[in-house]
Formats: sequence, structure tokens, C-alpha cells
Amino acid sequence: MFAYTVRRVLATIPVMAIVALFVFSLLYLAPGDPAAVIAGDQATPQDVERIRASLGLDRPYLVRFGEWAFRIIQGDLGVSIFTNLPVTTMIAQRIEPTLSLMVITLCLAVCIAIPMGVIAAWKQGTIIDRAVMGFAVLGFSVPVFVVGYVLAYVFALELDWLPVQGYTPFARGFWPWLENLILPAIALGGVYIALIARITRATMLEVLQQDYIRTARAKGVGQKGVLFLHALKNAAVPIVTVIGIGIALLIGGAVVTESVFAIPGLGRLTVDAILRRDYPVIQGVVLLFSFVYVLVNLVIDLAYTLFDPRIRY
Amino acid sequence: MMDRRSFLKATAASGAVLGAGGVAAPALSQGAARTLRFVPQANLANFDPIWGTQYVVRNAAAMVWDTLYGVDDKLDPQPQMVEGETVSQDGLTWTFRLREGLRFHDGEPVLAKDVVASITRWMPRDPMGQMVRAIQQELVAVDDRSFRWVLRRPYPKLKYALGKTNTPICFIMPERIARTDPFTQITDYVGSGPLSFVRNEWVPGAKAVFQKFDRYVPRQGAASWLAGGKHVSVDRVEWVVMPDAATAAAALQNGEVDWWENPISDLIPLMRRNRNIAVDIADPLGNIGSFRMNHLHAPFNSQKVRQAILMAMSQEDYMRALVGNEDALWKPLPGFFTPGTPAYTEAGGDILKGPRNLDAAKRMLTEGGYSGQPVTCIVAQDQPITKAQGDVTADLLRRLGMNVDFVATDWGTTGQRRAMKNPPGQGGWSMFHTWHAGADCVNPAAYNAVRANGDGAWFGWPNIPSVEAGVTEWFDAPNPDAEKIAMDKINREAIEHVVYAPTGFFLGYTAWRRNVSGIQKGPLPFFWGVTKS
Repeated sequence: MFAYTVRRVLATIPVMAIVALFVFSLLYLAPGDPAAVIAGDQATPQDVERIRASLGLDRPYLVRFGEWAFRIIQGDLGVSIFTNLPVTTMIAQRIEPTLSLMVITLCLAVCIAIPMGVIAAWKQGTIIDRAVMGFAVLGFSVPVFVVGYVLAYVFALELDWLPVQGYTPFARGFWPWLENLILPAIALGGVYIALIARITRATMLEVLQQDYIRTARAKGVGQKGVLFLHALKNAAVPIVTVIGIGIALLIGGAVVTESVFAIPGLGRLTVDAILRRDYPVIQGVVLLFSFVYVLVNLVIDLAYTLFDPRIRY
Repeated sequence: MMDRRSFLKATAASGAVLGAGGVAAPALSQGAARTLRFVPQANLANFDPIWGTQYVVRNAAAMVWDTLYGVDDKLDPQPQMVEGETVSQDGLTWTFRLREGLRFHDGEPVLAKDVVASITRWMPRDPMGQMVRAIQQELVAVDDRSFRWVLRRPYPKLKYALGKTNTPICFIMPERIARTDPFTQITDYVGSGPLSFVRNEWVPGAKAVFQKFDRYVPRQGAASWLAGGKHVSVDRVEWVVMPDAATAAAALQNGEVDWWENPISDLIPLMRRNRNIAVDIADPLGNIGSFRMNHLHAPFNSQKVRQAILMAMSQEDYMRALVGNEDALWKPLPGFFTPGTPAYTEAGGDILKGPRNLDAAKRMLTEGGYSGQPVTCIVAQDQPITKAQGDVTADLLRRLGMNVDFVATDWGTTGQRRAMKNPPGQGGWSMFHTWHAGADCVNPAAYNAVRANGDGAWFGWPNIPSVEAGVTEWFDAPNPDAEKIAMDKINREAIEHVVYAPTGFFLGYTAWRRNVSGIQKGPLPFFWGVTKS
């Protein structure tokens, strides 16, 4: 498995290279001009042209790509056109809120969705099953920002239990950190809970029909043992796959959630950078997201071996 | 009034402090009262007010860097960092003397050489600065506190140029910073103003922090806009960037922020219902909505076609699309200059008044040679003001029988595309929408959008010598009466030739918690004089 892991890690290099080429080319071809944004609305065309030249945006594609690629190889993501700060610094400033939001959301979703799916499968056809599936449909249907506004209205404005917005770093204490993340995590987790609960239910229903479940019951294993030791473990592979896919959903959902709850994370950094055409930041963040996605896939693949001993790499 | 969460926190903190043997609980609330949390209009993405001329950068910079002069709420420039000036009889030699005791945030004294370097960096980026530079013979430091500016011809508006609120403002920086090329961003933010920039707490897109500079020496007297005594009553000003208006409204209601610069009008009724929140007009100078037509290419290279648009357009339609049914928030604008200011004029503005006449406009279109060619209408969808105006324009053009090529895009793309002079079918454009801060439109001094000097003009490149003649007359005007005559001429000629289409004058709100006081109405948020209890 070690050799497999090394091979997969090395395989990320060409993937990242292709992503880098794609991102750079796409941004080069995309309309928009950071110089016009910098110059402001009162600037003359001559001012805009001069700023463009000072940023090196008037140089040929190959020259710009060559310089950028050379820096990337050295681990240098460049400097933001607007803030003049290194892209790595900007990512470092923003990674903690996004990571925190994703971890809390993931924990919340897994802790709620898997028992929900298991219970729905166990109580198939009952009102409990229908309630779980109804919640799942709702979770898929209601946009994250609507859930966010409703939560903020109820729990922050009306009840005054939690803050409306913002982020407090973990270093300033566990509760201040957590209280800012509860509402965003619930808002963002809705879709994710729905997705995992549905998959868990469907997979569990399939597994519960298997002969070995009947055998386990015949041996006198209790209901909890059947559900959680025998059935859930065998249903785990598709569930883990969905959790992995869901991390990509989380990255997308974080953009909206961070805006609604004013969390200074990577999602907002990305949107701001795109709107301003801050090319180095967009390139850096997309590369980071691609790397995380490739890494998550690797972790998921390796996790399969824990649940299914027949899988060997 | 203490809210539930604050009470719980304060109780917990008191407990902790008592447990530790301390007595610091009152300090918690005192600390909160000394920090003003402000939601700005946009993200502070860079902090060089000369390199980047966005309003949000100017607003932050006004706290950190002081100016030689500052306009007051009557739009008159008053001495700020200067003690006074002398002007030679021929109006060509200006000698300025700085106030005593001025210091930069690193403790160094403000010297005349710093001022000379700051003016030199500002001039190439500012329309008025460029005019002065063109007639400048010499700008030198005479001694540590005095500098001399020698011109080749008189420039009566010099103090206004140095004290205006329009971007870029002539901020005074240390010489080592001001020597940076004006088209390259500075990296050192040592200022001369009443607050200093806390660089290590700056998270672009999220937060910017400013701290009271104790060694700042304010002028005597009350503050009025950029003039007067800039007394800061809070220790810290925290800018909290909120991209979502509903979140900002909730945060203000909840007391998580103290002042929201520009709430959207949809949320005003909600905030008015909250007894802890005050709402008022932010800036009496407001904004002027506009769409610009490309004078280089058909169909808008025809004066008659442009006039047909003015004849047909209803400013009320535009304004209602922007501010809804709040009549107090808008005015029709048969001209280009800001209503309520001394030089406001409606000369020549009849075509924008009275009932709209679509039939006559259609006839004029035909006379102007319009024959169904596509009108490439660029509309940025990510800016509510441009989107609303664009929708009204598209409807208007269709009702006039024009062939509309509606290009829905974002502001970044609009910024790039509007600079292209190609014909509309080859990557260029026919019209785009924008708006101008009323403070920029009080006179032609820094009002690029009304200029009509061809290639040197703003996007659309109108070339109308009679407008330019009026601008020159205004700059040379020796007194307010002569200025008024020049403004009438500019307005008349700019409407006759349709430099651009004004869609109306509109105002915006600002909102704050009632425990905050001293907020001035003006073209930018002024933090001096603001107190929080």
C-alpha cells in the first residue's frame, strides 16, 4: 500500500500541471481587466494602460506563463495584484476559517446523517422513514443562503443566542471559535446531511437484504449489532465515497456560506479575486483546491481498505 | 442596553476576573466603547490612494493621511496642514508654510520635502494635478516648514485642488514613500493623519484596523468634512467587510457593528423599525446615474441619434428602478452637475424635462441615420445600480425600435471592454452604464465624465470643442459669477451634443446604532468627531 500511496502522490504532479496550464490559459482568455479596476472609475484610458504595463499584463502569453510556471515550481504563488501581499500569506490568513467551517460541517453531517440513514432503512416505510426522506428532499431543495438567513434571524436576532456573522480564531478560545461556526455549519451542512442520509439509507436497504444479515440474525445478534456492526460496515464504501465527493460540494458551498455569515475564508477570497481579476490569487486558490481534491480522493481510496478487506492496492 | 449574549459573556468574564483576583470587568465595556466597528461600502483591497483611486481606498486613506487643505461642507478649501500661504501679485508664485508640530506615525516631523514629494506623486494621477503640472515651473522646499510653487500662468483653483474630496486626494506621505512611482503600489503605510493603519491586522476582504494616533495635532475649531479640528474620540476603528447586505443589516441590529456606511434602500424600513438604530441620508451631494454612448461608432456617432435618446428617456423610470418609491431619494436632473451646489445649472436642459415623446424620438432616430444596426449595450450585473439602469435602457431602446444587443456581464469585464475603441461588432461597445459621486460633479475640476476632449476624454471619447472651451473658462474664472457663466455654457453644450445621458440624481442612506453620535453627512465617512457610548 505504501508503494501505491507514493505512486498516487506522484501522480498528482501531472494533474496539478494540467490544472495550472488550464487555469492560466482560462484566465488569460477570460475578459476583464484588473488595471481598470485598480484605476477606478475616474481614470482615463491612458492611466489604465499605464497601470496595465506596470503590472506586466501587456506582455505576451508565453512570457507570462513561463514566468508564472517557473515561480510555481519554486513554490512561489506570486503576489496579489491588488493587495501587494504574497498569495501564500493571503491563503494562510484565510485557510483557518474555511478549514474550521468544513471540519465542523463534516462532523455535524456525518454524526447526524449516518444515524438518520440507518434508522430510515431500519424503519423502512414507516413515518420515521418518510420524515427522514422528507428532510432529505428539503435539504436538497432549500438553498444554503435561505437556510442561513432563517437561522441568523431565529438564533441571532430573535433569540440572541449566537452571533450573526464573523469568525474568531481558535487561538482565542474554543467557545468563541465554535459560536461563530454553529449557524454556518448547520446552513452548509443541510445539503450534505441530505446527501449522506439518502445514500446511507439506500445502501443499508440493499445490505439488509443480504444472506449474511439473515445469518447474523439467526445467530441471535441483536438489532443494534446487525445494523451497526454487520450492515453499516458493509455499506460503508459507497458512504465514504459520497463523503469524499461531498467535500467538493463543501468547497463550493463555503463560498455562499462565507458570504452570508461574513466569514473571511478562502471562498470569499476566491470570489473577490475573480470579480477583481486578481489573477495570481485566483490561480493560487484554484491550485490549492485542486490539490486538496486530489488528496481527498487519495484518502478515500485508502479508506476503502479499512472497510473492505478484499480491496488491496 | 445590554443584550443577552453580552450579559452572558460579561457574567462569565466577571467570574473569571474575580476568580483571578482582578477587578477589570468595567474595562470590558469601556474597551468596547472605545472601538468603533464600521461596515464600509466595499472591501479595502489595496491601500495606496494614489495608485488605486477607488472611493473605498480614499475613505480609509482620509483617516491615515492628512492634507494640506481640506474642503468644508460649503465646498470651500480651508487650511489643514498648512498654517497659511502667500501668493504673488501676478498669481504665479505660491509660498506655503506648514503648521508646527506635525508628525508622521513613525514620529518623524512632517517636512516641506515630504510635501513636495507627495504633491509630485499625486499630480500625474489627478486631473487637476495634471493641469497644474502642465503649467508648473518649479516646486521646491524652501526650508523645513515652507515650500514654493511657481507657475507659468495663474491657477486660481490651486487650494481647491489640494483640498478636494475627489479621488485621488493629495495626501501627504513621508518622502521615502512618496517617491514611489505613482503607477506602482506603495508598501509602507506610515501616515500623517489622526489615525494610523494597523497593518498586521489587515485581512484584505475581511478587516482593516485603524488606531488613534496620539501625537496628531488637530486644528482648533470644529471639524467640517476634511477641514477643521480632526479630533478622534475612539481608540480604534475596525472596518468589517460584509459582502452581503442582509448580514450587515442583521449585524447592525444585533449590535455586532456600530455603523453601516451604505445600507440598501430595501432594508431601510426594517432598520427604521429598530429603536436602537438611526438612519439618515449619507451624503447630500448624492450620485448621478449615467449611461455613456460611444461617440466613435454608429449609431451614436450621430448627434441626432444621441439627442433622440435624451428626448425619449424618462429619468423617473431610472430613478424608481434604483430607489423604489422613496421620492425623497431622487430628483430629475436636466444637466450634469450636482443639485444643491452653488454652481448648479439647468441651462439647456429642456430636452430632459416634461413628458417624454417617443414618436418624435423615433423620427429623430431616422433623421440621424439609424437603420437598425445592433446597439451593443454593456450592463454589469454584479452592480445593482448598473443592472437596474441597464434594464431600463434596454426597454427604452426596444420601444424606440432599436436593435438591442444586450451584453450582461460583470463590472470587471465592463471595465476592460469600455476601454476598447473597436467598432461594437469587433469587441467594442455602443453604450455602458455607470454612476458618479455627486461630490465629483460639483464643478468641472475633477469631473472627467463631462469632459469632451476626444482621445483624452473619458470612455465614449466625445470630441466637442465648445464643451472644452467652457471648461477652460471655468478654470480661468476669477470669481463665482464668471464660474457660473462657464458652468452654464458647459451644461448647455454638453446636453446639446450629449456628452453622456444623465439618468437622474439619487441619494443613499447611512445607518448607525444610537449609542454612536457625531456622524457628519458628506461624500465620505468622517471618523473625527464620532463618539460611542
